Amino acid sequence: MAHHNIYWNPLTETLPREKLMSLQLKKFKRIFEWAYNNSPFYRRLYKEAGIEPGDIKSFDDIRRVPKIDKGMLREVQSRPPFPYGDILAVPIEDVVVFRQTSGTTGTPVYQADTWQDWEWWAECWAYILYAQGYRDTDRVFLPFGYNIFVAFWACHYAAEKLGCEVVPGGVLDTEARILKMQELKCTAFGATPTYVLGMADTARKMGIDPKTIGIKKITCAGEPGASIPSTKKRIEDAWGARVYDHIGATEIGAWSYMCTFETRGLHVNEAFFLVEIEDIDTGEIIETPGKNGKMVITAFDRIGKPCIRFDSKDVIRWADYTCECGRTFRMIDGGVVGRADDITKVKGVLLAPTAIEEVVRDIQELSDEYEVIVTKKGDIDDIMLKVEIRPGCEGDKEAILARLKDQLRVKTNLGYRIEVHPYGSLPRYEVKAKRFKDLRKHG
Amino acid sequence: MENLYNIEMLDKRIKELKKIAEEIKESGGQIEAVKRNINRILASIKMLEINICDLTEV
Repeated sequence: MAHHNIYWNPLTETLPREKLMSLQLKKFKRIFEWAYNNSPFYRRLYKEAGIEPGDIKSFDDIRRVPKIDKGMLREVQSRPPFPYGDILAVPIEDVVVFRQTSGTTGTPVYQADTWQDWEWWAECWAYILYAQGYRDTDRVFLPFGYNIFVAFWACHYAAEKLGCEVVPGGVLDTEARILKMQELKCTAFGATPTYVLGMADTARKMGIDPKTIGIKKITCAGEPGASIPSTKKRIEDAWGARVYDHIGATEIGAWSYMCTFETRGLHVNEAFFLVEIEDIDTGEIIETPGKNGKMVITAFDRIGKPCIRFDSKDVIRWADYTCECGRTFRMIDGGVVGRADDITKVKGVLLAPTAIEEVVRDIQELSDEYEVIVTKKGDIDDIMLKVEIRPGCEGDKEAILARLKDQLRVKTNLGYRIEVHPYGSLPRYEVKAKRFKDLRKHG
Repeated sequence: MENLYNIEMLDKRIKELKKIAEEIKESGGQIEAVKRNINRILASIKMLEINICDLTEV
């Protein structure tokens, strides 16, 4: 029997499935009608497809609604009003905050949010933090560069909403952040998995064992690491803390979260979002657990720049297990397991970069950093993996590399050229890491 | 869990709250300090609506 005090909102989070689906349909109709009536971009799109608000009566009707993608969001920015384009569904005067995507996959997308949208962002995050055990007794440190990227901004406001004490660790370097966390006896923090590991490394170099700082929980975002068991374990071992993943995106919102009960997967906040999984080849909707597909997502309550049936290119799969927390929200297994435009064929074999990370991070003698470079030599693909061996383990180099090669072969069905680099020489990242480089596309 | 709460009553009171906020905006909205603060209150009320009111009639 689940306990009442583990939910931010027990009414939505434990709503019976049938009612939850009825709620989703009702909310989809509402945001569709809102976008149709207020956003020239969406109205054009839907008129061309011959769909009007009154046509949405079932989930089958929802499947007929045209999808949007990042390319369309970029393209619409060339239209007025500057800089968002006519996807905007509110007067430009109602926009109170600008954010943009990181531009990892191309030109950044600009995001407009009204004050209501910003409240909504914080509300999405309130569900996340509460499910992960954040309470008003927590002192939460946020070591990120408070800037144009949404990153942990909404986490900040949600933590305040929960009554936590928030320590904004903006313009401090990593050492200063560690000292401040230690000084203030912070109990929780949030960052990308890469940076969380990097902070632990820095702390050790400063002579501080991260476990002694007193952090009890860490919320990760921006990369899939906290859903990769070996990376999650590394972080938990380093900090002596529980590590939770959450998934969100600038254009979408914060739509998914681990709770304290089941960390193999993440709950989808189905009261706020509709997540559909499509077969990558056929486009058929996947309801079967365990089968990978591409996510198409709708945010029900975002009004400034609505997000309706957004083809995110994230590859996810429904979990074949349930969570004992009592939430009726469905779970996705293992977080975002890849990108539809990232899963690439190397030597004819489908490769997801996260599989390489799982292997590298599972070998304790290797450092947290690695780099994968795919090139073409003549007609043959070549895949090189650069790793670092931790200080003190160099003597076992041959055995470590043999294990690495074996595990890579087992997990990815590929053979790699492996280069060992001096410890500390591979690039370190503070935000999203770029460890996978496919140079074949550039000639 | 639904049975532990009177959702209809909560819905009714949230609607009353919204009506009062809108009335204040209507009568004092020419004062910038009133208009802008009421807009924020209305955004918070919207969060109550999506957490509570939307669950009625499902």
